[in-house]
Amino acid sequence: MPHFELNKHDRVLAGVCSGAAAQLGVDATVVRLVFAVLALAGGAGIVLYFALWAYGTHRRWVAAVLGVLAIAGLLEALGLSGRGVAGATLVLAGLFAVLRRGGSVRPGGKLPTLAVILLVTGAVILLGHFGSNARPFIGPGAVVGMLLFVVGPWVWRLQEERADRIRLEERAAVAARVHDSVLQTLALVQRHADEPARVGSLARRQERELRRWLYGSGVPDAASLADALADAAADVEAMHNVQIELANSGDAPMEERLEPVVLAAREAMTNAAKFSGVREVSVYAEVNGSIAVFVRDRGAGFDRASVPEDRRGLAESIEGRMRRAGGEAVVTTAPGEGTEVELRLPR
Amino acid sequence: MTRRIVLVDDHELFRAGVRGELAGAVEIVGEAGSVAEAVPMIRELDPEVVLLDVHLPDGGGEGVIAGVAQERPGVKFLALSVSDAAEDVISVIRAGARGYVTKTITRAELVDAIERVAEGDAVFSPRLAGFVLDAFKDGERVGGDEELDQLTPREREVLQLIARGYRYKEIAARLHLSVKTVEAHVSSVLRKLQLSSRHELTRWAQERRLI
Repeated sequence: MPHFELNKHDRVLAGVCSGAAAQLGVDATVVRLVFAVLALAGGAGIVLYFALWAYGTHRRWVAAVLGVLAIAGLLEALGLSGRGVAGATLVLAGLFAVLRRGGSVRPGGKLPTLAVILLVTGAVILLGHFGSNARPFIGPGAVVGMLLFVVGPWVWRLQEERADRIRLEERAAVAARVHDSVLQTLALVQRHADEPARVGSLARRQERELRRWLYGSGVPDAASLADALADAAADVEAMHNVQIELANSGDAPMEERLEPVVLAAREAMTNAAKFSGVREVSVYAEVNGSIAVFVRDRGAGFDRASVPEDRRGLAESIEGRMRRAGGEAVVTTAPGEGTEVELRLPR
Repeated sequence: MTRRIVLVDDHELFRAGVRGELAGAVEIVGEAGSVAEAVPMIRELDPEVVLLDVHLPDGGGEGVIAGVAQERPGVKFLALSVSDAAEDVISVIRAGARGYVTKTITRAELVDAIERVAEGDAVFSPRLAGFVLDAFKDGERVGGDEELDQLTPREREVLQLIARGYRYKEIAARLHLSVKTVEAHVSSVLRKLQLSSRHELTRWAQERRLI
């Protein structure tokens, strides 16, 4: 709604006309003349004046009712029949009710039942009024227009929120990926800062991997899930000096939707290599009705509650990633009991 | 008592590695690099356990087993290899090996596996357990002996845990069984693996021209 204030300094009655003039950017006298002329139209000008005054003094509902009455009076004066005026008034009241809610219905919010009823009733009356064969298109047109008005913004917002959600998920996926690769490599580089050869090879490796991810598919070259897991295991073995025992029962062709499973499994292997304190890790993939991957070590285990919030490995790279992919991750561990990460994805 | 072992693998370097690993734990009485070398050697030395590579230049590990089994039925075979196709591993097991372990196995586990095989038990690595679960998948049975062609739910459970990297002791604790019972399940699976005429097993074997 436009910003409107009563003008206390330049006023004849309540400052309505000069306030409106300031808002419209015209001379107050012109506005006063218009009101005078409108007053002749069934008193519409007078009612409208009071409506604006009510608006200016923050009595919004009074303003609305008066405004609708004023327009009804105007239409009457223009020679519309009683039913036409009633219809138009109801439609206007409905529009106002919608406008008051910001012109839309938020997803999940309540439908403005009152506004819709007012609009539909008004439209029906109006159609009855015009409703001869002479205007066959007004009826459907009015209904469609109204629906667009009420539902359109809602649909638009829905789209916008969907895009937002996708953006957020995309960001989480990127964060998980950066955590798994770049941050891990940087940590290794820091630890081996005094070994130039090792640092160089780590950097080259990371560069290759990052390029592959940015410009190619995420998990390249592997033809099947078992192959992809074997690649991941080989990587982790090379980076962390552990031995990974791989087993599988059944296999599936490698496709994009299996990528999160491979990446989550890789992260679980990395965690096992880094934190378990043992050098052997077991990975088992089972493909039948669904896909299950188990990553297990007999190491130190940990207490879930004592893992700091900012360690994203488990929460983001494994659990969050599987959730986003439509699967789940279950971590079974306790101090001294080793750790098993179970990844599941429906087929 | 140290077990008497013959080592069959065509890679000299690998044999040296295993020899070093097992020094003191077992007695390695002979080494061979091919089927032709291995068969007469094993017949003569009559070891308790033969550590057998799945692939040899003049035939698979099953060639060694076939050449020895009749004359020396007491010799136990344990297949030991890096990573092989399921059909190769299953073929060696069906030919008579008591188990399959991968070369990534730790020393303690390898010594333990040799001991088990010598005692007549079966030794399944996670890898083999996965293969077997695959080969005995539900709903693909065609004729034959029903008991031999299917795994019981318990056997499946045990195999799945082996595949996930659990040891017998851990499996026993998890399933509230004794270690002996777990061993019995694994041996039963081995028996089915060797005697079943299950379609997948037969097909794999046929592709390798064994039957």
